[in-house]
Amino acid sequence: MKKAEKPSAHFVVCLNNEGYKASLEVGKLYRFIPDKEAESEGMIRVVDESGEDYAFDAERFHPVSLPAVVEKALLAASTA
Amino acid sequence: MDFEIVSEITDVETIAAGTSVRDRARLRKQYGRGRWRKLKGVAKVRLLSGRIRLAEVHWYEAHGIGKREFKLKLPFLD
Repeated sequence: MKKAEKPSAHFVVCLNNEGYKASLEVGKLYRFIPDKEAESEGMIRVVDESGEDYAFDAERFHPVSLPAVVEKALLAASTA
Repeated sequence: MDFEIVSEITDVETIAAGTSVRDRARLRKQYGRGRWRKLKGVAKVRLLSGRIRLAEVHWYEAHGIGKREFKLKLPFLD
């Protein structure tokens, strides 16, 4: 039997895209980039629909723990 | 917008136009058909914390529609 894979946390789910309806989609997973400067301001740095990373209000997102194999696939797809 | 622009935007440049605007289909759907461009500039911004920082901002713009979705680039410039 395969050992259970430890979940990591590089993705967040969007809860609110008000004001950013072209850049974010509610319910979609986005890659987040840990950034202490953003966090100190109540913001989160996220790669949005444009493919570039921007700082958004952290309240717009919720962290998601995904199995490592899923994260690996999503990260590979996002950098392709 | 998750921040407030509190100064004039300077050093404005177009960074993408036409088909190179990746969000073009989404912009059209949300705001209408237009010749969308993506621009960047530098401005002082008031953050959620109330602090004012100098930052690069990006936004989309189309003639007849105006500016939409100002976004904040990190790191801050000050």
